[in-house]
Amino acid sequence: MKYWLAALVLLTASAAYAQSQLPPRDVGVTWSRGAPKVSFSAKDLADERVREELSSGLRKRLVVSVGSHLKGSNWRMSMRQFACDVTLDLWDDDYLVRIGNQTERLKSLEQVLNRCLSVEGLFAGEPKNYEPQKGKEMYFVVRAEFNPISKKQCSELIRPTSGNDPVGPITVNIVRRRICRAERTIEFRSEYVRVPE
Amino acid sequence: MSRFERKILFAIGLSVFLALGGSIFLAQGALREVYRVGVNERFGAELVHGVEARRGQLMALRSGSEQVADAVGWAVEAEMTKRRNTSRLESVLQELVERYELVYGIRVTDGEGQEVASVSRESDPSGAPMRTTTRDRHVEAGRTKLLIAVEVAVPDVYFERLQEAGAASEVYSRLQRQSASVSDVYVWVFGVMVFLVIIVAFLIGAIVSRRVTRRVTALAEASRQVGAGDLTVTLPTGATDEVTELTQAFNDMVRDLRDSRTRIEYLQRIGAWQDFARRLAHEIKNPLTPIQLAAQEMGETYDGENEAYRKKLQHARAIIEEEVATLRRLVGEFSAFAKLPRADLSPSDLCDLIQSIEDSVPAILEDVGGGTPAPVEVRVSCATEPIRVRMDPMMLKRGVDNILRNAIQAVYEAHPSSGGRVFVRAYATEAAGFIEVRDNGPGISKENWDRVFDPYYTSRAEGTGLGLAIVKKVVLEHGGEVRLDRAPEGGARFSIELPLMGSR
Repeated sequence: MKYWLAALVLLTASAAYAQSQLPPRDVGVTWSRGAPKVSFSAKDLADERVREELSSGLRKRLVVSVGSHLKGSNWRMSMRQFACDVTLDLWDDDYLVRIGNQTERLKSLEQVLNRCLSVEGLFAGEPKNYEPQKGKEMYFVVRAEFNPISKKQCSELIRPTSGNDPVGPITVNIVRRRICRAERTIEFRSEYVRVPE
Repeated sequence: MSRFERKILFAIGLSVFLALGGSIFLAQGALREVYRVGVNERFGAELVHGVEARRGQLMALRSGSEQVADAVGWAVEAEMTKRRNTSRLESVLQELVERYELVYGIRVTDGEGQEVASVSRESDPSGAPMRTTTRDRHVEAGRTKLLIAVEVAVPDVYFERLQEAGAASEVYSRLQRQSASVSDVYVWVFGVMVFLVIIVAFLIGAIVSRRVTRRVTALAEASRQVGAGDLTVTLPTGATDEVTELTQAFNDMVRDLRDSRTRIEYLQRIGAWQDFARRLAHEIKNPLTPIQLAAQEMGETYDGENEAYRKKLQHARAIIEEEVATLRRLVGEFSAFAKLPRADLSPSDLCDLIQSIEDSVPAILEDVGGGTPAPVEVRVSCATEPIRVRMDPMMLKRGVDNILRNAIQAVYEAHPSSGGRVFVRAYATEAAGFIEVRDNGPGISKENWDRVFDPYYTSRAEGTGLGLAIVKKVVLEHGGEVRLDRAPEGGARFSIELPLMGSR
């Protein structure tokens, strides 16, 4: 039992270390009614290939997630995520951007990137997430992904064959993770900020 | 862990590792090949071509819609140039809508935004959803400026199919990109499972080998004990395998050794007693005649007048002669015991022996009854089939006669008038023939069951204690065994076991 605990502690510590080693980037943080609002740009996710893919006429997805962590800890206090489904409309020659249930049309790819990868004043969690951590140092981890396949869609696409062999389901799970992961991902963290008293 | 155990584990590990390791090696190649065949580059390329074709189709439709809008603009311009009014414009537009499939409606407005003419196609009877858009064209005819809004539409399904083809192509291209790693994942997962199987096989092997080696070690330890002279060792036999057979054989061997040693010890003891009996008989026998003669002479040669003394002499002579006679009988028995020959075995039928015993029953009854047959019922029986054994019929008969005589005497003493019964029977099992003598007398107490076969042990005043010792010696020389226990009738039961001919 103690070996398992030691392994768990080691794993958690290494994960925390790995996150704290992410490159820091300018992330604007303002506090409003006890919750942080973050502003940043992850437009560098859109390299040449990503831009090409976004203009292919096929539906592509941009996902941005923001997590908040205490300094030196891997424990996530809050998580906020939003996704843009982007399709170049070949009939009207503009971009159809769907965020949640809302759809809007944007004329250029630059507008699309600004809409989906430039974040301005996004609430990263609720006041109750930060209430117990007042005065402590924390940081935000931003992860921007191009075209990850959602878990649900991935499960529908890649299913284990029926049967009761033990290898199939395990392998399919691992393969799913690999195949459905984003085609391009960038990750960075904010500088350390202190949760206001 | 013993060396034997390590060897077994090594053998298990080697066979499991070779089998499963080989299968991983083979599976790796097979998986890569299967994946390469399944996720084929050609199929991927065809899927990409399919997406491009659908995109090209949409682009062509879009280009076509622009051209149609141009055509409509030119037609309107031509009509306005020709007629200088809009009176026939609507019928021209109607013709255009009918001519161009993509066009769903045309609306012409003047510079102030007032509608000049407008036509639209009747809705599609199939009801399929359509994607519509408007292509605007500006026309100038003289001083008239017109805006022509051409509504073009294509079925929505064209766009959906493009997205579906794109999604399929994307998944396929991802599978293709991961082709090496996917088969590696399969091999790794398979390898891990195989490793677990090897671990389980090792554990099971360790448990099994531990069980086997523990029994082998116990055998070795038991052998050492036997070597040190302890023949009481018996190992447990539970399973049904070769080690159990070996253990069983070991137990049999120890039991045979124990029996042989007991037999040899007994025969040695009997031999010593025979030697003692021979010397005793010799030493006692020699002075008996002079004693008897001296006593006779003492009685016959007294010529005095003292009648009382004469009577004393006569009485003393009678006592001496009686005791000398007793001693002679004793010497006779000792001498007979000392001269007991070794059994001379030859193939015989136990039932013949039983028959000869039955023949001697009346004489024994008369002897025990002191001249008149003792009122004891003796039943003698034998199996219908011959019971073939190697035996010395005379010596064995003598032994059985001894037992039978003892039984009749015991029963007669317990039931002097009637009710005494003795049963003699011979029967056989698969490996041995048996002679059983049992009675309904008082029996022999259990604590004396082993001692009754010792020489000179007797519970009767006139007994010498040699009869049952002779029986046991004879039976042992036949390679058999004699046992005593309680008869169902309540008396004693003697069982003589003799190996059947042809058995071990």
